[in-house]
Amino acid sequence: MGTVFSFDIRDPCTPAIEAALAEAVAWLRHVDEVFSTYRPDSTISRLARGELLLAECCEEVREVLALCKSAVRVSGGWFSHLAGGTLDPSGLVKGWSVERASRILYEAGARNTCVNGGGDLQLRGEAAPGVPWRVGIAHPLRAGELCVVVTGRDLAVATSGCAERGAHILNPHQGVPARGHASLTVVGTGLTTTDAYATAAFAMGDMARDWLQSLDGYEGFAVTPDGGSWCTDGFPGVLPGALPGVLPRVLPGTRTGAQDP
Amino acid sequence: MTTATHARHGTGGTGRAVRPRRAGDAVPALAQAVIWAGAAGVLALWWSDTESVVGAAGWLTGGARITGLLAGYGCAVLLLLMARTPALDHSIGTDRMARWHAAGGRYTVSLVLAHVLLIIWGYSLVSHSGPVDQTRTLVLDYPEMLKATAAFLLLTGTALVSARAARRRMRYETWHYLHFATYLAVFLAFGHQLANGAEFIGSRPARTAWYALYLTVAALLVWYRFLVPVRRALRHRIRVAGLRHESPGVVSVHLTGERLDELGARPGQFFRWRFLTPGLWWTANPYSLSAPPLAGHLRITVKAAGGHSAALARLRPGTRVWAEGPYGAFTADRSRAPKTAPKTLLLAGGAGITPLRALFETLPGEVTLVYRARRPEDLALRGELDAIAAARGAVVHYVVGGPGGYSPPLTARALARLVPDLAAHEVYLCGPPGMAEAAKRALRAAGVRRRRIHHESFTF
Amino acid sequence: MRRAVLATASTSTLVVVLLALKPHHTTALADRAPVPVPAPSGTVPSGPSDPAAGPAAGNGTYTGDPVDTRYGTVQVSVTVGAGHLTGVKVLQAPSGDGHSRRVTAAAVPRLTQEALSAGSAHIDAVSGASYTSQGYIRSLQSALDRAGG
Repeated sequence: MGTVFSFDIRDPCTPAIEAALAEAVAWLRHVDEVFSTYRPDSTISRLARGELLLAECCEEVREVLALCKSAVRVSGGWFSHLAGGTLDPSGLVKGWSVERASRILYEAGARNTCVNGGGDLQLRGEAAPGVPWRVGIAHPLRAGELCVVVTGRDLAVATSGCAERGAHILNPHQGVPARGHASLTVVGTGLTTTDAYATAAFAMGDMARDWLQSLDGYEGFAVTPDGGSWCTDGFPGVLPGALPGVLPRVLPGTRTGAQDP
Repeated sequence: MTTATHARHGTGGTGRAVRPRRAGDAVPALAQAVIWAGAAGVLALWWSDTESVVGAAGWLTGGARITGLLAGYGCAVLLLLMARTPALDHSIGTDRMARWHAAGGRYTVSLVLAHVLLIIWGYSLVSHSGPVDQTRTLVLDYPEMLKATAAFLLLTGTALVSARAARRRMRYETWHYLHFATYLAVFLAFGHQLANGAEFIGSRPARTAWYALYLTVAALLVWYRFLVPVRRALRHRIRVAGLRHESPGVVSVHLTGERLDELGARPGQFFRWRFLTPGLWWTANPYSLSAPPLAGHLRITVKAAGGHSAALARLRPGTRVWAEGPYGAFTADRSRAPKTAPKTLLLAGGAGITPLRALFETLPGEVTLVYRARRPEDLALRGELDAIAAARGAVVHYVVGGPGGYSPPLTARALARLVPDLAAHEVYLCGPPGMAEAAKRALRAAGVRRRRIHHESFTF
Repeated sequence: MRRAVLATASTSTLVVVLLALKPHHTTALADRAPVPVPAPSGTVPSGPSDPAAGPAAGNGTYTGDPVDTRYGTVQVSVTVGAGHLTGVKVLQAPSGDGHSRRVTAAAVPRLTQEALSAGSAHIDAVSGASYTSQGYIRSLQSALDRAGG
């Protein structure tokens, strides 16, 4: 459908890493062929139409569906690969494919990488020796601005929202587009689950914050339609204007009004 | 060869007045100009919306868009030509618009075919897929494309059925009803033009103009082909007054009704008649008025040639009739003869005598009628024609073939012998296609200018 | 039959002439497989970087790679001054037909703004709800990488 993936490798280039990059690209293409719901001939589309049995699909499909089921369980049904009536694991597939691509690079010796799949990132290592990665979160309401900057090592950042493509996340319990937040960001370690939980939390609306708070190893940040924001305790974020080394933090648990970053 | 001539009484004037310009002549040319201007406008829409044409895919997609736009416009024009709007019908002529429709129809279907092929090819190049895959994607994934595909199939099917080879094998009524599938096709295809057309997406003026075009045509169609006939039927309550067997195989149907003068029928025009009796109610056949229309009386004269016309001989008085019309531009209005002392030649072949019989009675000035038929028995309404000729001092020539199938040739010399000063005459011609073509050639050779020959053909 | 040939010939000629009169860009409209990925352009600094400062940046103007997308080619150039992004210029953007032009006109100013704020915040990447304007970002990325940022 046109998601673009980019790779940022901070390690010195070696032939192994070059080869791994090519392999990661091929992997992403393969994922699109199998899982793209926009392609009527993809495995997932045919599975959804009933033309294939699950047992006839490749291992990866079963793995993805198993991960989906687990995400459904953890999110109490707010992540659902069956929302809207058709089989659609896209909310998890992107993160899962990016995480696997990142691992392909890792196993070839690239320890400091950032793989960005259409706005969801899997980061390993650091941006430079001693310097953690800094990831800006696009402000959903003010074009061209950032609302917060996430810093860290070995983290996954996934943002859900309606910004450019419109309301494409359905509330699985009602089948109508979710509209509680303007955008919602979840930070974790593995992008597979982080991406799924970001989707689930976005669909949850008001209950997202408490749920994310209750999850171990995941932090959340959201911008509300009126311009305010909230975050969970422990969210590794700083205001965009802050320089590295100086860390004014967004006060945890505070609901702010329309703020000036 | 047998001819019978009645002497002419009275003298015709000799002075030649200045020929007045008739507004009616300009309308067909104007109509064609408007149609071409519309096509140019549609091309201008493409031109203004396209910044560049890049690569083979760009050329193919660009060609597909141009042909698609022209085809969409063409469909609207085709429907307009069949809307039977009186303003156009009485000035351009039913048969002429039907010919434009037929030619335009072939052209538009070709455009649609080109459009479909080019878009599949162009999109295949862009997305690096095979044509079969691309067709599947286009049909299944793009909005409104299932309907558009159905429209395409309907349109090509109708085109095949309308080919002359196929039409000869089926009854006119069958073909007529099958042809209505084109309405459905145009309706189904409309959505995909706005949903996928690059020139329409996001351009409010273009969408508005397209809607305006189609809604106008639809309104005219509904009004003139459905509402007006229904209203007329209720208002005038036309019914069969009686029949008269003029001669073996020829019957006149006399019709009566209320306020028939409101119909505005003129001698030379025809109606589409729907006789509400079992076996005839489901078809509306065109027959010309064979006598000048009166406020309470209309007449058609029919030669039993097929199932429908033979059934007319069995009509019962009191049968209700829906008469749609009047149609046709074959009237005195078309004459470019000078108002003082006009000279007119009426040239009839076979069944073509019917509208000319009405004109024979009412055309002003000096009128000569030449009636060609295969055998003397085929001359219909002969008694009436003689009576009219005697009453108004006009001349009738009956030209019939001899025994053994010999048919006197229709040449310039033969005509000039029958009609002195032929080149100064206005000519009204009505007959079978072969005879009409031969007549036109002969008249031209005799010096009659093309614009003064008025021809109505029964076969559209 | 002759009229059919004449009509076909004149229509084809008209279509070809109309298409030929329009300008043709030199780069062809290429389409990628649905997972387009840029080459690892300049993301690998060859020497050790300064750990304290943010990304090292040389001042000047750098031109990004032209990137082909489904709708056209996108190319941007950036100006770097005082250690961060001070200007972004769009060299090529999809404009083949009216629809593309409208999308470009809406998207470019917005993306430029985002790039500038991203550049001044010394960040390495941006996370946000799905972009469809990835060509811009990729070209921007390559320009930034050339600048050493």
